[in-house]
Amino acid sequence: MKIVVAYKWAFNPQDATVDSGGTVTWGRAKAGVSEYDPVAVELGRRLADATGAELIGVSVGGADTASPMATKSALSRGFDRVVVVADDALAGASTTQTALVLAQVIAHIGDVDLVLTGDSSVDVGAQMVPAVLAGALGWPSVMNVTTVSVGAGDLRVERAHEGGSQVLAVTGPVVLAAASDAVVPRVPGMKDILAAGKRPVEKVDLAALATGPSASSVAGVSTSRPELKSRGGRVLAGADVDAVVAELVAALRATNVI
Amino acid sequence: MPSTYILVAGDARIGNLVAAAAGTRITAVVVGTRAVADAVAASAVATVVWLGEPGENALEAFAGPVADVVAAAAPQLVLASTRPSDRVLAGAVAARLGAPVSTMVSEVVVSGDGAQVTRGVYGGIAQEVVAVTGTAVVILDGGASGTGGDAPVEEVAAVPAGVVVVENRPAARTQVDLGRAQRIVSVGRGLKSQDDVAMVEALAAALDAETACSRPLAEGVSWFTKDRYVGITGQHVSPDLYLALGISGQLQHAVGARGAGTIVAVNTDKDCPYFKEADYCIVGDLYDVVPALTRALT
Repeated sequence: MKIVVAYKWAFNPQDATVDSGGTVTWGRAKAGVSEYDPVAVELGRRLADATGAELIGVSVGGADTASPMATKSALSRGFDRVVVVADDALAGASTTQTALVLAQVIAHIGDVDLVLTGDSSVDVGAQMVPAVLAGALGWPSVMNVTTVSVGAGDLRVERAHEGGSQVLAVTGPVVLAAASDAVVPRVPGMKDILAAGKRPVEKVDLAALATGPSASSVAGVSTSRPELKSRGGRVLAGADVDAVVAELVAALRATNVI
Repeated sequence: MPSTYILVAGDARIGNLVAAAAGTRITAVVVGTRAVADAVAASAVATVVWLGEPGENALEAFAGPVADVVAAAAPQLVLASTRPSDRVLAGAVAARLGAPVSTMVSEVVVSGDGAQVTRGVYGGIAQEVVAVTGTAVVILDGGASGTGGDAPVEEVAAVPAGVVVVENRPAARTQVDLGRAQRIVSVGRGLKSQDDVAMVEALAAALDAETACSRPLAEGVSWFTKDRYVGITGQHVSPDLYLALGISGQLQHAVGARGAGTIVAVNTDKDCPYFKEADYCIVGDLYDVVPALTRALT
C-alpha cells in the first residue's frame, strides 16, 4: 500500500507586505511546511505504521520547494521519502494548476491507494486543491476527515458532517482532506531531523510531466488593495475601567449600535 | 444568453449563488434527495438536473457524474457554495474543464466568452480582477434558500463512485448560524481558561449577542464549537456590532469579520493589528473590561 500526503512549502501572508497597487511582496518572510499539512502527515504516518504502507510526501511549487531546508523539514515530519516538482513556473501557481501537476506526480509514482491533504494552505486558504486533485485523478474525495482506518476490503473514514459526523466505507483510491484538528501532529525531535537528511528525495522535472491542454485561460486585469471600511480607530484607555466602558457604551448608544 | 451551472450537494440554500448568476441562464445540478431537487427548483433557476436518489451513497460519490453533465455544456460560469460536499463537486468540474477556481470572490460579471472575477488573494491581503476565458469556477457563500421559481426537474442516471455512508452520528445540538447574527461577542487567545467562557457568555447575554471565537479556541482547545469560529476558513460574519476580546487581529481572523458595521477591539497590547481596523480600541485586560461592560449594560 502506498499513501501520499500532498503538502505545500508556503509563506504566511501575515509576513507579506502589500503596496498601494495591490502587489504582494514576501520580503523577509520565511517559508515552511504549510500550517495544517502536519496534521495530514500525522494521520498518514499512523495509518502507514498500522498497515505497513509506505508514506510518501509530494509537493509542487517554486524552486525553493526542493531546497534541502524544505525537503528536510518535510521529511522530519515522518515521510519515508518525498517526491517534488520544483520549478519557478509553479511559484504562486493557481489552485487548478497545482492540483493538475500533483495528479501527474501521483500517476508518476504509481499504485497510490490514498492521498491525504491538510485542511487548507496557509497562504491561499481556498480549501480546493484536494477536490480538484481528486477530479484530475478520477477519484472521489472527502473533506473534514477526522479518522482513517483499513477495514475488510475497504477504507473506513470518519468525517465531520453538519455538526455531527458520518462513517464512510470507501472502496478504491480516494483523496481525503484532514480536518485541521483530526490529530495532534508530533513535533520533530533531533533524531527525526537527523534521520530526515538520509531519506530519499526525488526531483521530477516539470517538463517531463504531461499536463494536458486547458479549455480555460486566466488573464490578470488589475490588482489593488482591498477596500476596507473606514474605521474610526478611536482609542479608549485609562486607569478607570468603568469610565472607559461608560465612554464606549455612550458612543455605541449615540450611534444606535446598541 | 451566457450560461451558469450551479452545483448543489444536499443543501438547497443557494440564494447568493442565484443572485450572483443574474442575467444568465441558470441550470442547477443537484446531488441529493428528490426533496432537495424540488427545493432547488423553487429557486429562480431555469432547469434542474437531478442525479437521482443517492440512497446510501455519500454525495461526494457523484462528483464524477456531475463533472460529466457540466463538461458537456461548457458554461461560462460554474458556482458552488463553500460547504464541504459542494466544494468536492466544484473540484471535479474544475479538473475536468481545466478551469480556474476562485474563492473570496466579491464580484462576478459574465459575458459571452467568459467571466470577469474580482477576488481576494493570499487570504485577502490584496485583491485582483481576472478575466477568465472558457469556464470560471467560483466558490461563494450559499446564502439563504432561493425563491420565486418553478423549474422542471430532469432526472439523469448516474453511477456513483465507491463511497458509502455506513453510520450517521447526528449533531447533538443545533448549529448556530453566525452569518445572520446582529451582534457578536468574539474571544481569542486572551482568554486564559475554559472556566472564563461563562464570563464572555454573560456579556453576550447582556448584549443579546451570539458568542464566537478565533481559531485556536475552536480547534486547539475546543472551548467553542467549530461553527462559532470566525476566520478565513471559518465563518464570515457581518453583524452590526463585532466585539473582539483578546484577539490580536491577525489577518486570518480579521478577514472573517470585515463585513461588521462597528468593530470594538479589546486588547492589552496597544500595538495589536486589530487596533488598525477597529472603530473603538480599548487598551485593557479583557478580565477587567468584560465584567465592567456587563455591569454597565445590565
